[in-house]
Amino acid sequence: MKQEQVFRGIGVSPGIIRGQALKLHSHNRFAFKLYVDDVHLDEEVARLEAAIRLSREQLQSLKSRLAQKVAHEHSFILEAHILMLEDRSLISDIVAAIHGTHANAEWAVLQATEQIRRALASLQDDYLRERASDIDDVAERILANLSGSQHIQWSRLPRDLIVISQDFNPSSFATMDFERVRGLALESGGRTSHTAILSRSLRIPAVMGIQGFLGHVTTGDSLILDGDEGLLVLNPSPERIDGVAEHLAQVEEQAGRGSAVPGAPAASGHDGVHVALRANTDLPHEVAAAKKCGAEGIGLFRTDIYLFMQPDGFPDVQTQAATYALLSKEMSPHPVAVRTLDTGVDITPGRTRPARRYNSIMGLRGIRLSLLERDQFCTQIEAILRAGESGRMEIVLPMVTSLEEIRRAKALIESVRSRIFGNREGIHPIPVGAMIEVPAAVMALDAIAREVDFLCVGTNDLIQYILAVDRGNPEVSHLYQPLHPAVLFALKRIAEVSRTLGIPARVCGEMSANPFFAVLLMGLGFSEFSMNAFAIPTIRKVFQELQPDIAREIARCALCLNSAAEIAEHLLESVSAALHSDLSTFTRELLSSRDNASSPAR
Amino acid sequence: MIQQIVRVENQLGLHARAAAKLVRIASRFISRISLSREGAPRQIDAKSILGILMLAASKGATLIVSIDGSDELEAGEAIRTLFEDKFGEES
Repeated sequence: MKQEQVFRGIGVSPGIIRGQALKLHSHNRFAFKLYVDDVHLDEEVARLEAAIRLSREQLQSLKSRLAQKVAHEHSFILEAHILMLEDRSLISDIVAAIHGTHANAEWAVLQATEQIRRALASLQDDYLRERASDIDDVAERILANLSGSQHIQWSRLPRDLIVISQDFNPSSFATMDFERVRGLALESGGRTSHTAILSRSLRIPAVMGIQGFLGHVTTGDSLILDGDEGLLVLNPSPERIDGVAEHLAQVEEQAGRGSAVPGAPAASGHDGVHVALRANTDLPHEVAAAKKCGAEGIGLFRTDIYLFMQPDGFPDVQTQAATYALLSKEMSPHPVAVRTLDTGVDITPGRTRPARRYNSIMGLRGIRLSLLERDQFCTQIEAILRAGESGRMEIVLPMVTSLEEIRRAKALIESVRSRIFGNREGIHPIPVGAMIEVPAAVMALDAIAREVDFLCVGTNDLIQYILAVDRGNPEVSHLYQPLHPAVLFALKRIAEVSRTLGIPARVCGEMSANPFFAVLLMGLGFSEFSMNAFAIPTIRKVFQELQPDIAREIARCALCLNSAAEIAEHLLESVSAALHSDLSTFTRELLSSRDNASSPAR
Repeated sequence: MIQQIVRVENQLGLHARAAAKLVRIASRFISRISLSREGAPRQIDAKSILGILMLAASKGATLIVSIDGSDELEAGEAIRTLFEDKFGEES
């Protein structure tokens, strides 16, 4: 029985999971042991030999280029690397690992080089100990050449992986299969990193800033990851496993509930008003979760991460169109709403764009940026229009503050449309909606709503702008109050204009994922919600239980109250009384509204 | 089969650069060439850089070179010269 070890870090994305480690090496490569059967062993060795040959050639050419630039003195380390690749003892160790354990070449390389690394690291001589890093470099190069461009064969991997790594670029999310990768533990990073934000949006428990744990953990090790407390437990004891078992069962039950009602005839309210529950997504493969949880379409595909994190740069029309078409096919017959690029921030490492484009919440972003620099916007629009030929697509314009912006954006969309389709008949029009997330848009809503096909209420940003609170600023983040009377006033107005003009309004912020808030929103008159896919089963159940007139009454009373604390108190009582569901997991968020109202959270 | 004794005289010992040179020279010959530390039974292949590094032979270490093959005499000469020249480090 291996000794349990507990490592502490920062919990950046909540949830507790149990699984096995998948260690990523630099550049997010990793090797996992796969079983190679007898008939394919020779193929595996040939693959290894080709990768070693290629690695040697690369180093030779690197060495000759380096020799021209710097003194010959410095190229000897490359010479040493080349000789390692020619070292018959190393190669025969790797081949023996392939044959002896029926392992794939990647795994065999790691096993053989790990042994050497350990042997070198145990030497007395400081200088030689450092050579351990040279063998790592060599292994890294072989691995890169083994599976560099090939896709990882996720289908052969287990479904309870916890990725462990030094670092994790946001772009790596695009290469992961989140049916299999269930958690993330990193040595670097913190709560506000893009990786942390993405983990939360994907509902992947994550712990970051765990110093010096990687040396103790290898691929296949048994782990418990606790994103609530910021803990990583290696070789958890039976007692600890029992301790979290109850929690794990709960999580699985929730997931199961989702899969039990795929595409369900959904949450029709009691008086026949159809309540549509859609999913918010950041990355294309989240569509799987959306489907599993019974989402009626993608209510908001926030494309910034998808567009700016591709290793090959901004995706062209064909690539984007293929992605959007795939999503709409998966979601068919429901629509997929694509929010056009918003932040305009390129977060790909090494391709940082000029500072003025950085995401200042009052800066050059959203529709403002798209109207100023149109190339990327028009590329995206063309891709959406092309995908719209085969499925139901919608366009959502972010950061709208005025009628003119919508008119200019629609003119651009029309020019792209006539360029690619001409006067061709039979092209069904693609609805264009506006994000209502700036107070100006709420105040000028009559004019704006008449110009679009639907409205998307981005509650996260709307609350920030109404209350002048940057959620990322810890000095004021306690003032972020979804239940502030001013916020309720704005939401009520949006619902009213939507009803009066017959323009659908969809609530897209995370507010609708909490039953207390969802009931309030329904009571205010909203009937379409888009949220994190995993929240859908819970919210569906809430709406199935709820009498709409009770929701309306709850909202009516809330509008009469004068502070966030009072409104929170009111919701706690009235919603709990109206529903049979256990709401205990959601009360914390609700009551933080009440308790933080006057003083900063400590 | 010949055997000869060499001493590591260069300042840095059989570090990466010296080891690389030794491998390059040894690899020119058909003969099997192995090294062991005096008094230690473990023999390593002189054509394996990892083996040489693992030998951890620092300045002053005494090594036994065993060479077996059709060009063993030439190989022995070349290797002895390399050690005597201190791998060209301090010339």
